[in-house]
Amino acid sequence: MSQLFNRRSMMGMAGGALSAASVLSSSHAHAKLKNDFEPRGGDGIWERLPSLNLEAYDEMSTSTRKWVNGALARAAQQRANELMVKNGMKPDQQISFEDASKLLSNDPIIAMRASSWQRLQWHMWQELKREFYDNYDAYMSEMEATDKTGPGTLELNPGIEPEYTKHEIHMQPGGYTGDPFAGHLYLYGTANFYVGQNYQDQGHAALAAAVPVPADGKVRRILDAGCSCGQQVVALKRRFPDAEVWGVDIGAPMVRYAHMRAVDNGVDVNFRHALAEKTGFPDGYFDIVTSYILHHEVTEQATYEIIRETSRVLRPGGVYFPVDVYTMPSRRVLDGTPMRRIQDWITSRWNHERWWYDYQRSDFLGEMQRSGFALNMDGPEASAYAVNLSQARARQTSGRPQALGDMSGQGGQKNIMGTKI
Amino acid sequence: MAETKGNRPTYATDFITTDIEKVTFFGNVHIDNMMTTLLAMGNELWVQRKRQHILEALLAEKGVKPEAIEKYVATPAQEQAWAKERDVLVARLWSHHDKNTGEYNFASDWNGK
Ligand SMILES: C[S@@+](CC[C@H](N)C(=O)[O-])C[C@H]1O[C@@H](n2cnc3c(N)ncnc32)[C@H](O)[C@@H]1O
Repeated sequence: MSQLFNRRSMMGMAGGALSAASVLSSSHAHAKLKNDFEPRGGDGIWERLPSLNLEAYDEMSTSTRKWVNGALARAAQQRANELMVKNGMKPDQQISFEDASKLLSNDPIIAMRASSWQRLQWHMWQELKREFYDNYDAYMSEMEATDKTGPGTLELNPGIEPEYTKHEIHMQPGGYTGDPFAGHLYLYGTANFYVGQNYQDQGHAALAAAVPVPADGKVRRILDAGCSCGQQVVALKRRFPDAEVWGVDIGAPMVRYAHMRAVDNGVDVNFRHALAEKTGFPDGYFDIVTSYILHHEVTEQATYEIIRETSRVLRPGGVYFPVDVYTMPSRRVLDGTPMRRIQDWITSRWNHERWWYDYQRSDFLGEMQRSGFALNMDGPEASAYAVNLSQARARQTSGRPQALGDMSGQGGQKNIMGTKI
Repeated sequence: MAETKGNRPTYATDFITTDIEKVTFFGNVHIDNMMTTLLAMGNELWVQRKRQHILEALLAEKGVKPEAIEKYVATPAQEQAWAKERDVLVARLWSHHDKNTGEYNFASDWNGK
């Protein structure tokens, strides 16, 4: 409970009858920022959506998504299995996309799952976007006020974005680079994607906890590539308070938001608007480089360039810990079971994961080896759906079973790690 | 280019737009469109219920009885404002029906990936 009684929730309380003493004993006292726009306060690191209506609207989307990802997805899979058997095949038989599409696309439950997921996702973005544009000046002023203040630094480099980074991945309006509120949209959009289980960045904290340390134990500088809203950057700083922690991202609005959020929470971390394949850091600068679900969103070529750049900026003995859908061979889903074929296509085309197939095809491990990494296939457990990892952790410590987010993959799986030779 | 207001720097680039809102999964876009409507309606419904839970909890603290809510008579100004609000709600629930064309089947530009 104590977490709820922070400055932010107090400010949002009608009547505000609480004493100054309880404000001061807050577990999470922020310094009031200049132009801080948070009409309803927050809870811990989570800044509440600015109106009760939007918050409730979004909650219901989240609850609906839980059903779509859970019971409805299972029912769709069941239908696919039945249709396979009915047509004289085994449920997990490999078939072509064309055949899978013919077989499954007229099934109402499979269509229902695809349509409801896709429409929910689209509608959610539109609703969030409306809020930020309705209060355009307030949100812009808030970002402008922290662009040049610390703790931590922000570096913006307009004009560096290659075309491949300008797609509206996940249908996010304007994509990562093309909307001034891309960071705002991404944070609240993914809170929905994580079905409400990452409001306190729990998934990112679990990932940060999993990050392996170089054999000599020295951790002076850390880089998180493709850092989006800086959730992992902040989590890394909390785990390694003495380290200099950096995040790079190609979305300028993403790092602007990330910086603002870090400042708002008093966390001293640095953000640079840069390509992961061209970070601008000196050779051997970092002890650890992480990335979380970056690679499936870049071209095959960019993935190779990012691996080479990572090798360049790591010092000998430094550690690379990339977490993504296919970084481990065991996570590859190139198999052609019918539902997988359809889902992959829908993800790539209609959730607009523009580089999904590129990434599936890339020789990730091979390029790591060619770039001077010793591979360890038995690295710490991680998950491309971070909240699964945090839930798996919670299960381990409490010993009690908890509901998983019903998303791809299990809790944790061994993740690849590379050590710079 | 991103939508801008005034001339403050946005740091936003041009971007490549998607056509994802034109897909149909049911083979009949009206059904997909109806999906959006129903999702929106469910969300709206919860918005109202949540507000109501909060409101009634606060009112009860102040001694307002449920009957007083039940028998409330609105003023003409309230009626007018609420009608306007309903128009906005209608647009939110239904406006996509006059835009989405369903010109693609979801698999129509599968290109042998
Ligand atoms: C799925 S998000 C990553 C999520 C994030 N790591 C987190 O912890 O929540 C992908 C991010 O990578 C960024 N990105 C895409 N291509 C990039 C590149 N070549 N270099 C740097 N960032 C890139 C995007 O702007 C986006 O913010």
